[in-house]
Amino acid sequence: MKKFINRPENLVAELLEGLVLSHPTQIRLLGTNLVARAKPKAPGKVGVITLGGSGHEPGLSGFVGEGMLDVSVAGEIFAAPGAPRCLEAIRIADRGAGVLFIVLNHSGDVLSANMTMTLAQREKLNVKKIVTHEDIAGGPNPDDRRGLVGFLPVYKVAGAASEEGAHLDQCLAIAERMERNTRTLAVALTTATHPSTGQPIFSLEDDEMEIGMGQHGEAGTGRMKLKTANETAELMLQMLLDDLKVKSGEDLLVIVNGAGATTLMELFLVFRRVHQVLQERGIHLVRSKVGEFITTQEQGGFQLMISRMDAELLRLWDAPCNAPYFVVR
Amino acid sequence: MTDQVTRHELARMMAAAASRIREHQTQLSQLDCIAGDGDHGSAMLRTMNCLESTFNAETATDLKTIFCEAGWKVMGSDGGASSSLLGAFFLGIGEATKQDVSSWRCEDLAAAFRSGLEAVQLQTKARAGDKTMMDALTPAIEMFVASAQAGQLVTDALQAAAQAAKTGAESTANLIARYGRARQLGERTRGHPDPGATSIALIFEGFLEGFAESKGNDHD
Repeated sequence: MKKFINRPENLVAELLEGLVLSHPTQIRLLGTNLVARAKPKAPGKVGVITLGGSGHEPGLSGFVGEGMLDVSVAGEIFAAPGAPRCLEAIRIADRGAGVLFIVLNHSGDVLSANMTMTLAQREKLNVKKIVTHEDIAGGPNPDDRRGLVGFLPVYKVAGAASEEGAHLDQCLAIAERMERNTRTLAVALTTATHPSTGQPIFSLEDDEMEIGMGQHGEAGTGRMKLKTANETAELMLQMLLDDLKVKSGEDLLVIVNGAGATTLMELFLVFRRVHQVLQERGIHLVRSKVGEFITTQEQGGFQLMISRMDAELLRLWDAPCNAPYFVVR
Repeated sequence: MTDQVTRHELARMMAAAASRIREHQTQLSQLDCIAGDGDHGSAMLRTMNCLESTFNAETATDLKTIFCEAGWKVMGSDGGASSSLLGAFFLGIGEATKQDVSSWRCEDLAAAFRSGLEAVQLQTKARAGDKTMMDALTPAIEMFVASAQAGQLVTDALQAAAQAAKTGAESTANLIARYGRARQLGERTRGHPDPGATSIALIFEGFLEGFAESKGNDHD
């Protein structure tokens, strides 16, 4: 393994320090490895928080900031943080109007979030939870679908709604509508190494790719010979459009998220083909993002995400936001 | 009186269990590479270090306090699913234990184990047969409870539980994962034991060894 690290056991603390020190006007560290907004939200507004393992930068703590998340609970490398720190985050984020807890569907995160909810109810904290599960590789059962880059529009619209003064139930409803209308599919080319153990997290032959690979090398269903950017984009887009049942004339947000080692050059080739196909089908590509929002170290591959947008979701997506890795002015 | 379980015996049990995990850390991480992300060994070690230090601390002899603190610390050790579940296990024991109890008999430890298992079952839908830590934890505790009911001593009940955990963990090699990250791998998980179940078997082995040591009779 070739990585610039100091001591593996200090990795998370040091990376969070670096993240916060490089964005001092937007975020700060609070409590035990909690990344929080530099300036707390106004009292009376709903707090929005999330949890997740580290090693996926800029996810998830890079999206803490005005108009998005209030607190992110960062775990160890690829491992969910425990309930005690999630409870701490809820207490910090609660400005008297309750807290929306956004959880990506991975078993460790969900277990920790469920435990947090049990403890929060005992403390009579006002918390609502939403689990994002838009990875269509998981099959038809929503519980089997993992949460991938689809967290991004969910954070964005929930954060924007809370800034507008929406109540907790309204923030939850918006987040749920965004989540229901989002689908993601991932493809992997090369493995990542676990930065603490130095072990590769999966293996693929040099001429292979795997569609459906999750954030941590969880296997997908489609191991096949490497295809071109156009062929891969077409194949994945078709699966997503079918699953979301997108019709001609509808409005889509498209995100191409690099897994860590795939170049922007390649991501642009993929996006270009997605754009062409949607245009041919009369589907409106109304908003887009191409870049790295959630990564897995030096894993090669990308996630393709589509969301069906309506007027309200678009307005919230466009609302001002000032997080280290997501700025809308 | 030799069959009593106090903080002293529990501290020895946790220390021995932590040693077992420490010795097998690399092997556990390698097992996790097959279906997970290869960090089970280091995550379990963090959990066991928490347990060892909590039970070693001279601050409390009251079992409720110690177990609640242990559960809370394990949950906070950020070891992913395994620390959430083991945290729930120890917190569940703590919450079910009456105030100001500092000593258990075999049947009390059985009741404690059962409360812990019930607390875990509230947090996960996984059951024995799903290729998770439940494949070792469930039979170990059922065996301990049955042995205690049959009037056995703690050492013998722990021996039976450790054997059940080992058998349960080994049986996971023939199973297909249905929970956790590994579930997406399906058939590819067959042929290798589940790392979580393997850890539980090591922990019960450690419990047996630590308890025997605390009573000054080598069990081997």
